[in-house]
Amino acid sequence: MNGVVHRIAIPRGAALRVEVGDLVKPDQLLAVNRAPGHAVTVDVAGRLGRSAATAGELLEAHPGSRLEAGSVIARSPQGAVVSAPVAGLLVGYSPSDGTALLAPLGEELPVIGHVSGRVLAVHDGAIDVEVRGAQLVGVGGTGEAVHGELVVAVHDPGEELRAAAIDVGATGKILVGGSRASAETLTRARAMGVAGIVLGGVLDKELRDFEAIQRRRREIGGLAGSFGLVLLEGFGKVGFDPQLFDWFRRHAGHLASIFGAQHRVYVYDAAAPPRRTPQPAVGDRVIAHRRPFQGRGGVLVAVLDDLHATPSGLVTRMALVRFEDGRLAPVPLANLESTARASER
Amino acid sequence: MRPPPPAPGAELSVLVDIGSAWTKASVIGRSRGRWRIAAHAAQPTSWDERELWRTLAAHLAAGADRRLHERLERLVAEAPRIECHTPRRPARLALAAVSRDISGAAARRAAESAGWVVEEVASMDDDRSLAARLGALQSAGVDAWLVSGGFDDAHSEQALEMAALVAAARRGGETPVIWAGSARLGAEVGRLFEPAPVSLVANPRPSPDRSEPTALRHHLEALLQEMIEPGGSIHLAPISFRRAIAALAETAALRILGIDIGARYANWVVADSDGSAESRIFASGGLSSPTLTGPGGPARLTRLIPQSIDELAVADALQNLRARPGTVPQTEEELAVTHGALRALLAQMAVDETPRGVDLIIGGGRTLASIPNPGLAAQLLLDGLRPLGVTQLAIDPSGALGPLGSLDDVEIGEGIATVRDDLIVPLGTSIVCRGGRAGQVAMRVTVHRTGWPEVGPVEVRSGSVQILPLGRGQTADVEITLDGDASLGTPRRTRHVRTSVQGGSVGLVLDARDVPLVVPRRSDDRRSVQAAWRDVFLREPMQAPGRVE
Repeated sequence: MNGVVHRIAIPRGAALRVEVGDLVKPDQLLAVNRAPGHAVTVDVAGRLGRSAATAGELLEAHPGSRLEAGSVIARSPQGAVVSAPVAGLLVGYSPSDGTALLAPLGEELPVIGHVSGRVLAVHDGAIDVEVRGAQLVGVGGTGEAVHGELVVAVHDPGEELRAAAIDVGATGKILVGGSRASAETLTRARAMGVAGIVLGGVLDKELRDFEAIQRRRREIGGLAGSFGLVLLEGFGKVGFDPQLFDWFRRHAGHLASIFGAQHRVYVYDAAAPPRRTPQPAVGDRVIAHRRPFQGRGGVLVAVLDDLHATPSGLVTRMALVRFEDGRLAPVPLANLESTARASER
Repeated sequence: MRPPPPAPGAELSVLVDIGSAWTKASVIGRSRGRWRIAAHAAQPTSWDERELWRTLAAHLAAGADRRLHERLERLVAEAPRIECHTPRRPARLALAAVSRDISGAAARRAAESAGWVVEEVASMDDDRSLAARLGALQSAGVDAWLVSGGFDDAHSEQALEMAALVAAARRGGETPVIWAGSARLGAEVGRLFEPAPVSLVANPRPSPDRSEPTALRHHLEALLQEMIEPGGSIHLAPISFRRAIAALAETAALRILGIDIGARYANWVVADSDGSAESRIFASGGLSSPTLTGPGGPARLTRLIPQSIDELAVADALQNLRARPGTVPQTEEELAVTHGALRALLAQMAVDETPRGVDLIIGGGRTLASIPNPGLAAQLLLDGLRPLGVTQLAIDPSGALGPLGSLDDVEIGEGIATVRDDLIVPLGTSIVCRGGRAGQVAMRVTVHRTGWPEVGPVEVRSGSVQILPLGRGQTADVEITLDGDASLGTPRRTRHVRTSVQGGSVGLVLDARDVPLVVPRRSDDRRSVQAAWRDVFLREPMQAPGRVE
């Protein structure tokens, strides 16, 4: 199985709990981070009996230093010492009033990667994990990193995911929807504890409305749990490629992770998904990406000689596609991708 | 026995611009002793390069010696190649500033126009707690840190606090730190980051009433080149485009504005006749710009489109354009949205850099170059930029300027001179005035051409646009009389202007639609006005009533 490398951002200063070569699971603790809390003021100049400007020259700790309670912040030549009243991060020193700002570090917060694989490398601020699974990269998405069991929630790749299709059985799962989901459906899914949704298409407006609802709920403190959404085909009402939908069906029940902001889906212990390649050839099964055929599949019948004008007036390489509904239509070759099952490669 | 005749050959070079979404290529060949752009083609960058050679060979075949036909593809593939490319990845920085709208805005503009993506902004007035600000900076995945704040004559404690915050968040990492704040604080800021070095750069906002972003922009440009493509910066498209425009300005002795809008990047270059050039590189200024798809973006753009397309469809089309920039708008509506996006991006760039005193505007980038009608290209440039006064307009249809700019210093001028006649396509000249009373005559224009009947005076009413025929290679003298409070933006309020204009594939555009463009509020009225303007640009220019002297 081909491994793909997934980079997990780790806040600077977090304490790592894994090493290169470790196998990690989606819910495994990778690091713990103590986020800085509200800063406290430490009167450095006053305690040293110096002016604010001269006390600054006696600092022994730089901004960014992590201090334990009692660690020395500044020391005068006469031996007077100013120490940290609490453990924390030294944020800065003000030469105008001679005080230092110390941000106490909060409780240890877990950093979870939501991926399964092997730690490949550790960088400043990130960990690379080699993921043992199939990767799908979408065109849009929103929300946090989540993982859960894959469930296909529609019967047909062109079907819209309706709010009524989401019940308590979907809690903690990653749902594979169809060609669209309304903001209401997405809000209900989140409220029902669904971990995430993978869709063929969604209207940009619905996605924005959903994000606005989440923002407002977060502001008033009513939002719990994580939720992610990844869009695989395009914006608007766009169904899945039937081959890709079949692939999801075959992998229902597998563990999957989705990364909304990165438009990425991983399905573990899975066969390779239908592969998309640009520049299709005659005889290939293709999928169209722009209107009026967006999301429709068919077979490339011919590539026309010379350049031809599209209905928009642009002149480009055109191809003839026999779509699944039997219609034969010219489509710009640049708007087509060939899609093939792993076994056909 | 007679020796066999020599096999026919071809002297060819290939210019290639590898963009993030589209690759553009042109073949330069010698024909009857002259070097010409003999063929050009474009294809998605994700396609196999051999397809590009095949397409170019097919285009060349029409005019090539028949004995060469079978070898054309190989000749093109093996021809010397002059290449430029879009940076392979954007560079990201975190910005910490005292004020979001003063020091922060100046530093952010400088960074974005130097080609950086600003990943995180922290300021004293960002309504976050110190802890939240610190947490956000700690989590930022960036290539550099930029700290700004305080005027040059002040010892700003707040600026020092922001610098300390970055030092705390950075925690001794290796990413470079740039201090572009109060000059008086440089040494103190340096101490905060010891032992790491801090680059001290001139303050982009040295006083409340002064903005001087150039030094910071240049520093960030140099740093970006060092990080993204050490040693090969002249092959980066934004750099090579600037060099080509500078060389063209020097050769033509004109002040030229070159604009190149791609899928990811947008590039704005102003070059003077002495060969000096200033550029701004917008790393997120291309057709995938988040400003187009962000809150309010689709609604604003819907107002720029003459067709009746609802905002939901515009939003989806913009997102699809962002997600799949290598595709082609197949329907009229999708093309209208793409052109609306181009207009919006041009207007956005023109807000900061008004194209004043420019003799020639050259539009580049796949969207402008592939436009089905030159009139539409002229309209997009004029609607977006609103260049006040008299300005020549042209496009770079083959995308050859970028690759030519990647030649060595001594070769650029020669390269441009070699294919000068084919390099840019002149659209004509625009005369754009500002002001005027609605419905009243804003300017009267009379066109004199030696040997031709005088045309005019043509009355151009405020809010309208007219096009007079003036073909490529033709020049004319025009007399412009301004009425009411209409102005061409000249320093003195001159009522009569005489100037010389050059023709092109569109002609002489007389544009009294005000600066910035004024459109009715009601959507139906707006669309009908916009449709009327579009019709003027799309139809053949009409000969205005003339009189024979």
